[in-house]
This record gives sequence, C-alpha cells and structure tokens, in this order.
Amino acid sequence: MSAPIGSQTANLAMTAGMPPKRVSRTRRATFFSLVGLGTIVGTWLSFIFLSEHGMRMAEWALLLVFIPLYYQLNVGFWTAMFGVWLMNRPKPDPLDLWRTLNADDYEQPVTASTAIIMPVFNEDVTRVYEGLRSIYLSLEATGQSKNFDFFILSDSDKTSQWIEEETAWLELCRQLKAFGRIFYRKRRKPINRKSGNVSDFCRRWGKRYRYMVVLDADSLMSGALLTNMVRIMEKNPGIGILQTFPKQIAADTLLGRVMQFAQALYGPPFMAGLDYWQCGEANFWGHNAIIRLAPFIEHCALPPLPANAPFGGHILSHDFVEAALMRKAGYAVRLLPTTRGSYEEGPPTLVDMLKRDRRWCQGNIQHLWLVFAKGWHPMSRVNFIHGILSYVSSLLWFFFLALATYLAATPVKHELAQSFLAEKILLGVTAMLIFLPKTVILLDEVITGRMFKPLRLRLLTFFSSILDTIVFTLMAPVLMVFHARFVIYTLIGKSVSWVTQRRKIDGGVNWSEIILTFASVTLLGVLWAAAGVAIGFKVGTFAFLVWISPILTSLLTSILVAALVSGSRSGKRVSIFLTPEEYEPPTVLKNMQQNLDEIKDRLQLPPELERHFGLMQVCLDPYVNGLHVSLLRRRRTIDVSRSYLDEIAHRVITQGPQSLNPQELKALMHDTDSVTNLHYRLWSAADHELAPFWSTAIRQYKLAPTSPFVHTLAKQEIAG
Amino acid sequence: MEAVNIQFAPATGTEEEWNEAYARLADYFRSYQLHNRIRRTQLILETLRKAAGAHAQDPSRTPTAHAIEQARLMLREWLGAIYSDLNLSEAQLEATGRLGFHLAGGPVRWPQFFLDEENMPDDMAEAMRSALRTSGPGMSVSKMTPRDIDLGLIPDVAEDTFGKLGRHPILRYSVLFVIVFGVLGYLYSLFA
Repeated sequence: MSAPIGSQTANLAMTAGMPPKRVSRTRRATFFSLVGLGTIVGTWLSFIFLSEHGMRMAEWALLLVFIPLYYQLNVGFWTAMFGVWLMNRPKPDPLDLWRTLNADDYEQPVTASTAIIMPVFNEDVTRVYEGLRSIYLSLEATGQSKNFDFFILSDSDKTSQWIEEETAWLELCRQLKAFGRIFYRKRRKPINRKSGNVSDFCRRWGKRYRYMVVLDADSLMSGALLTNMVRIMEKNPGIGILQTFPKQIAADTLLGRVMQFAQALYGPPFMAGLDYWQCGEANFWGHNAIIRLAPFIEHCALPPLPANAPFGGHILSHDFVEAALMRKAGYAVRLLPTTRGSYEEGPPTLVDMLKRDRRWCQGNIQHLWLVFAKGWHPMSRVNFIHGILSYVSSLLWFFFLALATYLAATPVKHELAQSFLAEKILLGVTAMLIFLPKTVILLDEVITGRMFKPLRLRLLTFFSSILDTIVFTLMAPVLMVFHARFVIYTLIGKSVSWVTQRRKIDGGVNWSEIILTFASVTLLGVLWAAAGVAIGFKVGTFAFLVWISPILTSLLTSILVAALVSGSRSGKRVSIFLTPEEYEPPTVLKNMQQNLDEIKDRLQLPPELERHFGLMQVCLDPYVNGLHVSLLRRRRTIDVSRSYLDEIAHRVITQGPQSLNPQELKALMHDTDSVTNLHYRLWSAADHELAPFWSTAIRQYKLAPTSPFVHTLAKQEIAG
Repeated sequence: MEAVNIQFAPATGTEEEWNEAYARLADYFRSYQLHNRIRRTQLILETLRKAAGAHAQDPSRTPTAHAIEQARLMLREWLGAIYSDLNLSEAQLEATGRLGFHLAGGPVRWPQFFLDEENMPDDMAEAMRSALRTSGPGMSVSKMTPRDIDLGLIPDVAEDTFGKLGRHPILRYSVLFVIVFGVLGYLYSLFA
C-alpha cells in the first residue's frame, strides 16, 4: 500500500525541513537575549524599588516569584513582536515551509499513503461524522484523495454511543460510497486513553501508511490543506511532525466567540513568532497535525512515568512528549503557519473551559519528571518548562498578589527618587509588555486588513478587540484562582477522570453549576476586599485597594461574568467579535453546518428512547443488530459466564435498559451470541413480559425513519 | 408472486394470542423495511402457519414466540442458501446476511424475494455476497515499544517520596498541613 518515495522527494537531502543550526541558533540567541534582557531589567527595577530599606524575607519571596512571571510576560511579548515583524517584512522567511513547494509541486499527484485518524470518546456522533464527511468531500474535490484513508478510532464506553457510531459509520460509507476508505475501530478496553488509541492504530495499521493526520473529534480540515501538508512532508523528509494552527470555529456563546475572535486576530502573529524561535523544535498539540509514521512508531511510544497518577503514571499530555521524542530521534517538529483550512471547536462555557484546563494542567505538571531526563534537545526542555509554567504561573501570580497584600499591610516609606523612578518605569514597561502586542497586532490589522478588507469590518475588529480585552481582564483573575487550585490539587494527588469535553451548550445558562463553581471565588474576593479595606484604614491610604481593584472586581463578579460569557448573547447579531470564518465560511465548514442544520429537523423520539437510542436499535433492528454482530471481534472464550449474560439479558428485557449498569451493558454488547439472541428474545416476548421501555420502543419503531441508519446523519448521498 | 391464501385455523392457542402474534410479526417484518405490504402479509401468514404447527407440538410457549422462531428459521435457511460457500456460525450467518440484504438495497430492490428460497434472483444473491464489509483494512502489524527514558537522579528520589506519600494518605496530608501551618505561622510572626 505504501508507495515508494516518489518524484517529489527524489534528490532531496533526508534532513530537508530541519532548519540549519546556524539559523536556529541565531534566532534563539536573539529571542532569548531580548527575553532575558527584559526579565533582568524588570527584576532589577523591582529590586531597586523593594530594597530601599533593605530586603525583608517577604520582599525576597516577592522578587523570587516575580522573575518567572516576568520571564513569561517577556516570552509572550517578544513572540508577538517577532511574529508581527515576520508577517510584515518584505523579504520572505527563509524557513517558511510553504516556500519549499514550487508551482509544479501543486500539479503533482499526491502518491504517499496517508491515514487520517480521529480518536473519539463518547462524542456527539452527528458532529463527528458530519465533520468527517465534510473533510472527505473536501479532499475528494482536490482530486487527490486516492491515497487517503480515514479511521474513526473509538474508545466510547457508553453503549448507545457505540452503536450510534457504528450505524453512522455504515451510513456515511454507504452515502459517500466510501467502503474501504473510511474505517471504524472500537477498542474493547480503552488502555492509555487517547495516546493508547493512537498507538493501537499504529501497531495494527501503521505500516500501511507513510503519514498519519491526527484529528480531534471537533477538528475540521480542508482537502487543500491536507494535500499540501503531505506535499510539504514529501519535500521535507527531515520533518517528523508538522503542526498546523487550528482556528476555533462554530462558537455560539459569548466566551466561545470571544475566544475564536481573539485567536483569529492574535493567533497568526503568535504562530509566526513561535515558528521564528522554535524552528525545528516546535510542539505538537495532539491534533490537526501530520506525522511521519515510521519514526513515530519506532521512537514515540510513551513509557509510563514513575509514581502513580496524578503526578505519575500514564502520560496525559502525550503530545508534548511525542514531539520531544521525535526531535530526540533526529526529526524536526515544525509549525506550519496557516490562516485557513485547519479548524477546531472550543469549550462553550467558562466551566467547560476550566474542566479542560484541569486535565491539561495535570498533564503539563506531569512533565516535571521529564524536564531533567537525559537526551532531550535543550529546546524540548524549554517547551516542557513553558508548558508547566503556563499553569504554575497562576499559582505564582497568586503568591505574588498575596505577598503584595502582606507588604501593603506592613509598608516601608519610599523616599528616594531612584525608587519612585524604578517603580514608574517598571509599571510602564509591564503595561507595555501586556498591552503593546495587542495594540500592534490590532494596528497591523486595521492597516493591512489581513482578516477583513472592508473598512467597516476593520473598525468593528477594533471595537471588538477593546471588548475582548475587557472580557479577558475580567476572566484572568478567576482563571488564576482555578489554575492555582489545579496545580495544588495535582501536587497533593487529586487526579482527574477522563470525561468527554462538552462542545455545545444544551440549553440556557446553568446557574446552579455556575454558582457552585464560582461561589468560593466570590468569597475569596470578599475576604480579600475586606483585607484591602482593613489595610487602608491601618496605613491611612487606600492606594493598595485601588491597585488591586481590577483583581477584586473580577473575583467579586465571577458568578455574573461566568453567566454572561456562557450565555448565547454573543454579539453575533451586531457583528461584534466577527471572524473571517463567520463572515465568509470556508466550503468545508459551510457543508458541515448545512448538514448539522438538516439533522436538527429530524424526528425526535421520546426522551427515554432518545437516551438509549443506540441500544434500542441494536436490540430491535435486524440490520443494526447484524451490523453490530458483524463488527464484533470473534472470541473463542468470553470474559464472563454464559449464565451471567443470560441473567442480564433477561433483566434488560423485563426491566428495561436502566436496570443494567454500564459494565453489564458493555458485557452484553460485546458477546455475539447474546446480542443475536437478545434481538429474537425481545421480538418473541409477549407484551406483558416486556419492560414498558420495550413496549414503547416497538410501538415507536413503526414511526422511525425509512432507514434505521439515518437518525444521526444528514441524507446527502453522492450520485454515481 | 404466489397467490395470497388467507386461510388460517390454528389447532391450539386462543384467538387473542394469535392476534398478538400476528401484530408482532407485522412489526417485525416492518423492521426489515419491507414496504411491500402484500409480500409482508404473505410472509406473516406463511410464518403463522408454521408457528401454528410448532405450537401444536409445544403449547407451553406462546404463539408469538413460535412465530418469531419460525421467522428466524426461515431466515437461516434462506441465508444458508445464499452464503453456502462461507463457513459462518449461526450468529455470523444471520448478522452477515441481514446486513448484506440491507447494503445490497434488498428492501427496495428485491422485497418480494425476501425469505423466498425457491425464486431467489442471482443478482440479488450476488449483491448480498459482495456486500460483505469489514470495519478496517487488513492488519499490517508493527511493534511500537516504549523505550525507557532515563529520568536522572531527581525523579528517583521523588518517586520514592511520592510512592511513600501515595501509600500513606495521612502522611501526605500531614506534610501538607505542616507546610500550610508553617507558612501561616511565619506570616503571623511577621505581623506580631
């Protein structure tokens, strides 16, 4: 299956794609010199201010906490600055991977075999398959889809979800005439979660393909970008992982839209800046990336970490480690600056965002083990440290504010002009580090119109940017409190469970969830404000309260802010936070949205049947039952006894699906004979022997759609 | 198509029971997406007749149970003829056959030949045989073995510590409380 390296890679150095050491070193020397200089200047100014009357322990502690925070601020600042510079300089970037393709390359057929894999875990089946359909059709439209295969790799542990995935797979293949092109695999045991799922694919089918494109359940990629990524990999055999910039799409809450707007506006310069200094040692973000399979299989299998979860055990944030292992094996990990063709969806509410961050935090903290491991490229260590710092900095910021509160309560009089000057310069520089990147990027957009050409939309972008600054300012301290808490949870051994990420809100604002989540933050705000007032009375000035008021405002209003950003009043009607993908949706997105809209109008069954729809289908429908049994792996022996399976089958018939726990349902559904017999036993049972669920189900089944397979998918058959 | 003969007089079972069996069979064959009502009625009656015979021999089971069992036997025989060259277990034969009929477009293209072993069109049998699907391509197994990462000295020490703390939650929380109260005590001493 795997085609030999074709004309596109002939006469290429096998290290092509790995930036020359000279360039990488020069860039990093420049970048980290500026970051280091900024950090040293900030620390020095801070020291001058604090040390006027000698340094107390608390002042030393404050300075110690200040250094990593200021370093992080400088990294962000200079990344953005280099990004804006790269995007505007007349001479093209010599490391720009797009330049490795010439006009002829775009005409060449794509011959390399590529697997597009989508690991899923209890995701919205309709969204997964409609996204996949859209990607498939987009790829077909390029005329270069012949060597691409699709794999849905399921770890779903909800029975109904599993059956719905199977039926949707069959129906999608039938509608697209894509049997033998789109495959479905369900693991019996979800060992090592997503990374285990990907490894399982690699072990089974990895040899058949030269490349693997990893997608998330909410990913969307255009065919043009996919084919060009393969072309770039073919021209650059030195690249092991090529990561695109997935832009957020399809948000319908204020938080989602603010995030996707900010990402659309500030993301490209930050990506360009990251590419500038990361060079061949970039990071892998786990999806919307293409991977060279042979070295991935050989070098990137993940060992467990020492100690138990949450700090050790299975590596959660596997992507960073895989990138480091790939680089250790001698292959470059590169970022591909893109503005179109690579998309994902973000969390809809603040609570969902925090749930996601909790997992990411634990994963990143685990990397502490790896920072000092032997054999990494130094930049891989830097990437680990930056990942850890992205959450630990919240705890440091919290410490910084706590120490600042203590110092405000025990003030020393600043009299030296040098001290006042240092304070003012420090404040000015810090404000510049925070706001200048946004300002420069915004000006760049207003002048160049990279996102929007019409002047009206550029002005709207300007106003939206001001509003997004307000939203993020209100959210940042709340995120700080939670991230600090997550870091502590991880350190004291509280692990996270693997849960499905919610990508859409199911109804209105969930007030009880918000109040329960943010009440403690509000209480912290109240206590801190009280401390601020007390300090004010004690020292005779309320300067500290004024200084800390933005933080306190955020904490005190956290419940309202969380409710506001989680609502569906997102400014879409008045074109605030408009992104290019909303203004002019790419075909791949437009197709998916149309199909999702079609599904919304489908016949809805009673809620109980809807909840167990997959189970109802596999038990009652002869075709779905046939499909499920056909897809089950034949096993000579079964894990549980036959009498146990008969007992739970009897229970499900007479008492309904709710009488079985998830493990019992799973055991039943994994056994071919049980699934086949259950179908006949249900149809054979007299009405009085059946649980009310089944009586209703049989009655309702007459009303079900023409094909049992179209409940979760749009009907968009391709001709021919 | 055979003429529909609606004479049906079971020797055992009540009228109510046979009506229930009739209704269940109607629903069952409808679940096969057979929209040809005449063929459906033919199948129901044929099945009921066979079920009546079976019920006479074993009245302990309901007519509905006999009817569905007869439908299953008829399906097995019919599929057995189509997939005779494949070595399939009963469960596999039924699953493969039902799915094959669906994927071949059977309910729309050949509803009148469903369960009709004698008049089976060749193109239908061929379409059902060629509709066998697998969920994945042939495997091409690779080894993907994790290589040990030399984490150095610090993780060794940390592992011992975490291992110990992990086994003794009381010790873990004691360490935490000592740290927290240590910091609080220090802050108090500063203010005092």
